[in-house]
Amino acid sequence: MALFKRHTNRKSILYIRNGIIIIVLLAFALATLFPIYFMIISSFGDPIEAGAASYTLWPDKFTLASYKFFFDYSEHSYRWLINSFVVAACVTVSNVLFASLAGYAFSKIRFRGRSVLFAVLLCAMMIPYQVTQVPLYILIVNIFQIENTYAALIAPSLVTVYNIFLAKQFISSIPTEIIESAKVEGCSQWKIYAKIILPLSKTVMAVMAILTFMESWNTFFWPFLVTNTMEMQTIQVGLKNFRFANTTYFAPMMAGATISAVPMFILFFSLQKYFLEGVTVGAVKG
Amino acid sequence: MTNKIRVFASVLALTVSLSALSACSSGNNGGNGPGASASNDPGAAVDAKDTITALLPPVSANYQSNFDQMETDFNKLYPNLTLQIEPASWEDITQKLDTQVNAGSPPDIAFIGSDGISKYVEQGMLMDITAEATSDIIGDFDPVPLDYMKNGSGLYGFPAYMSIHALGGNKQFLEEAGIDWKSVQQNGWTYGEFREAIKMGVVSSGGATSRYGFVFATSGVTAKDYLNILIKNAGMPAAFDKDLKYAYTSQNYLGVLKAVRELIDDGSMPKELSSVDAGKRWNMFLTGQTMITGKGLATFENSAKTNNKKIEAADGAVEGSIPVDYVVLPVPTFAGADPVASAAVDGYVTFRGKKEPTEEHKANVAKAAYFLASGKIAATTNTELLVEQITDSGRAAAESLTVERDPDNAAASQRLQSIASPARPDIPAELGAEAIKLEDEVIIPKFQALLADEITPEEMFEALKKAAVEAFGEDGVVTE
Amino acid sequence: MMARLARIVKKRIVSGDGGWAYAFIAVALVVFALFTAYPVIHAFMISFQEYKPLGSTYVGFDNYVHSFEDELFWKSIKNTIVYTALTVPVNLLLSFGVAILILPLKKWLQTSFKAVYYLPAVASGVALSVVWLWIFDPLQSGILNQAAAFFGIGNQNWLGTSATSMFSLVLMAWLSSHGTSIIIYLAALIGIDNSYYEAAELDGASFFQKLSYIVIPFMKPTTLFLLVTGIIGSFQVFQNAYLMTGGGPDNATTMVGLLIFNNAFKYFEFGEASAQALILTVIIAIISFIQFKFLGNDVEY
Repeated sequence: MALFKRHTNRKSILYIRNGIIIIVLLAFALATLFPIYFMIISSFGDPIEAGAASYTLWPDKFTLASYKFFFDYSEHSYRWLINSFVVAACVTVSNVLFASLAGYAFSKIRFRGRSVLFAVLLCAMMIPYQVTQVPLYILIVNIFQIENTYAALIAPSLVTVYNIFLAKQFISSIPTEIIESAKVEGCSQWKIYAKIILPLSKTVMAVMAILTFMESWNTFFWPFLVTNTMEMQTIQVGLKNFRFANTTYFAPMMAGATISAVPMFILFFSLQKYFLEGVTVGAVKG
Repeated sequence: MTNKIRVFASVLALTVSLSALSACSSGNNGGNGPGASASNDPGAAVDAKDTITALLPPVSANYQSNFDQMETDFNKLYPNLTLQIEPASWEDITQKLDTQVNAGSPPDIAFIGSDGISKYVEQGMLMDITAEATSDIIGDFDPVPLDYMKNGSGLYGFPAYMSIHALGGNKQFLEEAGIDWKSVQQNGWTYGEFREAIKMGVVSSGGATSRYGFVFATSGVTAKDYLNILIKNAGMPAAFDKDLKYAYTSQNYLGVLKAVRELIDDGSMPKELSSVDAGKRWNMFLTGQTMITGKGLATFENSAKTNNKKIEAADGAVEGSIPVDYVVLPVPTFAGADPVASAAVDGYVTFRGKKEPTEEHKANVAKAAYFLASGKIAATTNTELLVEQITDSGRAAAESLTVERDPDNAAASQRLQSIASPARPDIPAELGAEAIKLEDEVIIPKFQALLADEITPEEMFEALKKAAVEAFGEDGVVTE
Repeated sequence: MMARLARIVKKRIVSGDGGWAYAFIAVALVVFALFTAYPVIHAFMISFQEYKPLGSTYVGFDNYVHSFEDELFWKSIKNTIVYTALTVPVNLLLSFGVAILILPLKKWLQTSFKAVYYLPAVASGVALSVVWLWIFDPLQSGILNQAAAFFGIGNQNWLGTSATSMFSLVLMAWLSSHGTSIIIYLAALIGIDNSYYEAAELDGASFFQKLSYIVIPFMKPTTLFLLVTGIIGSFQVFQNAYLMTGGGPDNATTMVGLLIFNNAFKYFEFGEASAQALILTVIIAIISFIQFKFLGNDVEY
């Protein structure tokens, strides 16, 4: 039983319906996938200094030279990938943990100043980062003096308001009776969080992990600001070094972009199962 | 009991977050911030240890890969000094520098265009090195490019090169169109001659143009390059005339705007010009879709040659490209004005932090800037870029480096170099900043609209005049 | 007697939970205070100053007055509102529709489609902007122009004229940025317990009845989240205009995010940029407040 009828007795209707759905989805997918397709096929071209992007739908040539070129271009290519990974992993773990805690508190526990605090958090999120960037830079570089460290790369995004808001919205739809009854049975809030909320929010946490990891992995400007040696740069900062004054090493840049996308694919598919199976409230109750 | 757990939980939470912070900071490799280097003990000996930081983009193809060598060479020359180079890409260097400047902790040296100097002078963040630049150093530089690094009475760094913004033509197409390009290289051309010439370059059949006479990159902010290159040859080499009156309100300016429209309306330039970017027009040049392109830099001769070789080897040339002989061409002149080559001087600009720098640090920064702007580094970089050397030491070091250049192009480049528009350090920083704002807020948006055929040249001119009078007053602008 | 005891116990639980709540949000608050609140307060102070790194001067409300008098500021607000109104609701509908359509498919198909729609978010912005510049190529070789020619429409100067440049940016948003919302919607859809559908089916509910009585109310918190964050994101957007049009032609695509960026970095008018950012924040806050008013009452089951 689900939103869609199962049509268990009439297979043909099921096939037709799903067929139509798939066609619609595919058509839309083609439009969104095109840039990725272009990125990947261009990466198999020659690592030449293209005076201008020459566009082709089908590669004339298949070579891995650009990938080799990317790793040969700088001795730090591997280091960039590792840096990105360390930063993104730290940020992801800390966000999933602390944002879900805060999201639970904001959605299900009554405490003094709850709505005011939350409103303040949201308002801060609305301020364009263009104006907070310089004060933040002053704080990290001039006051804390942690320029060019992992700390500087990680600290500002340990917990983001976006994730707290996301967790709060999802946890708010968990039935309150479960929490009430657990409380009556004498569970502490920590236990409720660990034994009830966590298992029930697997889905949103997987989503949060993917979004956070990707966000951190793709961030360019902050790492660029607070690093000043090649060894501390992240992959996105390193990628930009391929761009030259009037010309661009086009294919290797695309190869770099493809390489930088790979970890996201892996993460996506490994977390996939958590948001494919819906977590049923009943299963936890029992 | 519950109370204890609660306290424990919050302590735990805090510890985790703090340890995350501190554990990570162990990755600190002790690079002292740019601000720290400025805080030297004023009483220290002259050869006290000092670190000079420099923020440098990929000036030429192999420039950034030489950073380690540069650092080592500098340390060999001045054993007490350390040069610490930070790489940055062209696209992002300004934004990083601007953030650092606003935070009060810029690097000691940054490689930027000289047109940015007035903006930083106004912020009070540049370091005047007039006193540190000895007569030997000053004597090494050609005077014209050196002047670009001045503002008012101050000298704020050393120039790396002066690059001439010219036009570039396809030799075969020029000859087919009956244009005596050699004479143009030697004697220049007027707008009238240019207009007729590029008309001849157009190839079209049935209303569809397969080759244009002239294409210039004007998409986004590059529109201003196009306009600037033209107005320099219309008797307005700078935004202000000798009496510091705003020059762009002159009738000649309107003439140039009309000419811009004429070239498009003639069909010699694409009507979609307003969104042609630098990559697109170079692609059009290599694939034979245009006879002349702009702006033309000296290195383009090299890029064209490289592509020709690839066509010959049938390996990795630009899709659909044809062999091209690149010809350096001057920009046409308007209304009988003298030809003036638009010059861009980039160089090593010296910054200061929040604290007043000590005399020693100033001297050390000047040493580093001079080290980067002259001798071997200048010689290799400028040779790679095919631009003229602008220091005696650079010329000496470049003698051993062979440059493969077309003799006609080399001669034409040198001729253009000799008529390069001079710097105007007499324009006060405040006026300069106002002119830049006017350019960004009025000229560029209106010019984009003019290119897209949304307003007339007269409408744009009136809008500019009105804004200029508002900014500089009736007496502050040229009126004829 | 028992009832009174229960009430006391309950009261203790509720008031006692306050401590837990503070413990749970402690880390978030510390991080927030340091890395968000502090810079924001700093920016607030700067908005009353003429900012200079070596020493600012206090100018009172000058920056605010100047912003309110600036035509370009209002034009950019207008552009931003137009852009937001055209992109955010359409993107929400599209993602919701796609998420619903993915739901009945077999698991491997679900996975593949999710991955497919999510991919564009994974690609680097540089690669994307190159492709989009090709799509909007002004000459006949451009993809969109070839498509237009197929429908008998003449060559368009997509990014180069005021008439089409905003549309081009909107089109780009429609086709490229919903991976995130699809994933979030799907996660929420999967969270709906099957027992609701079972109950509805016993009552003989049709697909659309189930959609409007179960799914849509259940999606309220998610929709609110996506709407609020979508609008915030859209009001701050500056990358696309910065990369694709530079705000032109004639400021037709100058978004307020781009204007603030230019004021802060191009002209070094940090005070004015901060003032404009705070005005913008007030506008977004009002819009968000209205959204919370209409969608905010938490759905409880």
